[in-house]
Amino acid sequence: MARGDAAIRMYHCSKSYLAASFALQDVSLEFAKGEFAFLTGPSGAGKTTLLELLFGAEQPSEGQIVVLGRNISRLGNRAIPQLRRRIGVVFQDFKLLPRLTVEANVGLALDVLGTPRRETRARVFAILKQLGLQHRRDHHPLSLSGGEQQRVAIARALVNEPEILLADEPTGNLDPDLTLEIMDLVAGAALRGTTVLVATHELDLVARYGKRVVRLEGGRVVEDHRPAGAAS
Amino acid sequence: MNRRANQLFYFGRAAARGLRGSPVTTAVAVITIGMALVLVGAFQLLLRNMEELLDEFSEDLQVTAYLDDSVSDDERRHLVSVIRTVEGVEEVRSVSKSEALARFRAGVGAGSGLLEGLDENPLPASLEIQLVSERRSPEGMRVVVESIRGLPGIADLASGQDWVAGYLRAIAIVRGVGIGLSVILAIAALLIITNNIRLAVVARRDELDILWLVGGSRAFMNTPFLVEGFLQGAIGGVVAVALLYAVFLAILPGFEVAFELVLGGEPRFFSAGEALTLIGQGAALGLLGSAAAVGGSARS
Repeated sequence: MARGDAAIRMYHCSKSYLAASFALQDVSLEFAKGEFAFLTGPSGAGKTTLLELLFGAEQPSEGQIVVLGRNISRLGNRAIPQLRRRIGVVFQDFKLLPRLTVEANVGLALDVLGTPRRETRARVFAILKQLGLQHRRDHHPLSLSGGEQQRVAIARALVNEPEILLADEPTGNLDPDLTLEIMDLVAGAALRGTTVLVATHELDLVARYGKRVVRLEGGRVVEDHRPAGAAS
Repeated sequence: MNRRANQLFYFGRAAARGLRGSPVTTAVAVITIGMALVLVGAFQLLLRNMEELLDEFSEDLQVTAYLDDSVSDDERRHLVSVIRTVEGVEEVRSVSKSEALARFRAGVGAGSGLLEGLDENPLPASLEIQLVSERRSPEGMRVVVESIRGLPGIADLASGQDWVAGYLRAIAIVRGVGIGLSVILAIAALLIITNNIRLAVVARRDELDILWLVGGSRAFMNTPFLVEGFLQGAIGGVVAVALLYAVFLAILPGFEVAFELVLGGEPRFFSAGEALTLIGQGAALGLLGSAAAVGGSARS
């Protein structure tokens, strides 16, 4: 498929949890396949809600969302997990299981696919090596530093080579050095053709990468800035 | 291995992890199912033995027609041929007065001296009427007895009809109590398993959220809990069989003598198939309880 094809299309999407109180209001956006973009805005601007709509955690109150050619509102219960397997998600709080080893945490994304155990181990090892964590594969998350935990979460999001990577404040809990390290890993996924959306309020970080920036305020898109030559 | 086999392997690992992760609740569930199945199994064992004795006893069930002393040999032969034509009769054997006396002497042994003073043989000749297997029941015997009663030369009729009817009533009572108790215990075990698995679902909410996030279907998230319930039930079943066997061996000596004296048989424990059935009942209970627990609790 051509690089310019859309991975994500949102048409006049709104999301309200209470009557007359919109978390997101009349948002229409399109992200091309392989595009790397930032969602910015202050707390409560709707960044997290937008990402939640994209991976099917929430349904829009109004409007339509087409992700990887599938209209999320019309997907049945069986099809949503299938779509979610094509989307990697990274959170600020890592969402790792403390009972499981690093290897088992990352392998969960392959377990749901029924991937053979030997193949799972090989692919998990490969992604951990790529992220410099191969020596930590038998450790449990709580014995790792914050940066290492986030790298494990990124490994889990990327291990099944998703077509879209959504990251919600992935560096929110990290110091500046680790922030750059993590962002470079996320940017690396875009270089390999994954559509990457990063929600962050760290404007310095956004400026450093020179990519498309969608700014939200009060649930509305107030700016959609595309620097010249910033397709990905 | 194909995709399905790999997922089954994952479910097994996840269930084992769940059981290891909550040893106390697992032990409670296993002991509950085990205790419930011990009682259910005890009733099943009692029933099996009672039914088996009935079967053994039924093999020997027959109707005995005592004859008047006035019946001649020709009349006796005629009676035999008439009775053979009665529906439900398999064989008729004639026992003469002298044969009856010989049997009595052999039966009482040293006490046979009691008959020494008698001038004549007081025992009547008789006809031992064997029934076809379908008629070896109280009702079947009653029909045959009614058909024979009133034939000329027959003084009296004896059968185990009343005894069998009473025994069948006892079996029905044991079965009824067993079923009633089993249902109550099964419901209690089911509620405890359902509660345990529901607690496990809540305790592993974070794991379910992450599985959901990486594309786990509802079935994928629920199945480890079903496997957990199944395993808890099956282990409870194994515990029950082991306990029952231990109790069976412990009380067997006293029980054996009573059994032998009253009914001439030996009590027996479950066969391998019956023991597996009991374990299967535990597994089914566990599966049902966990199915009730996860129904609607996982994110879709």
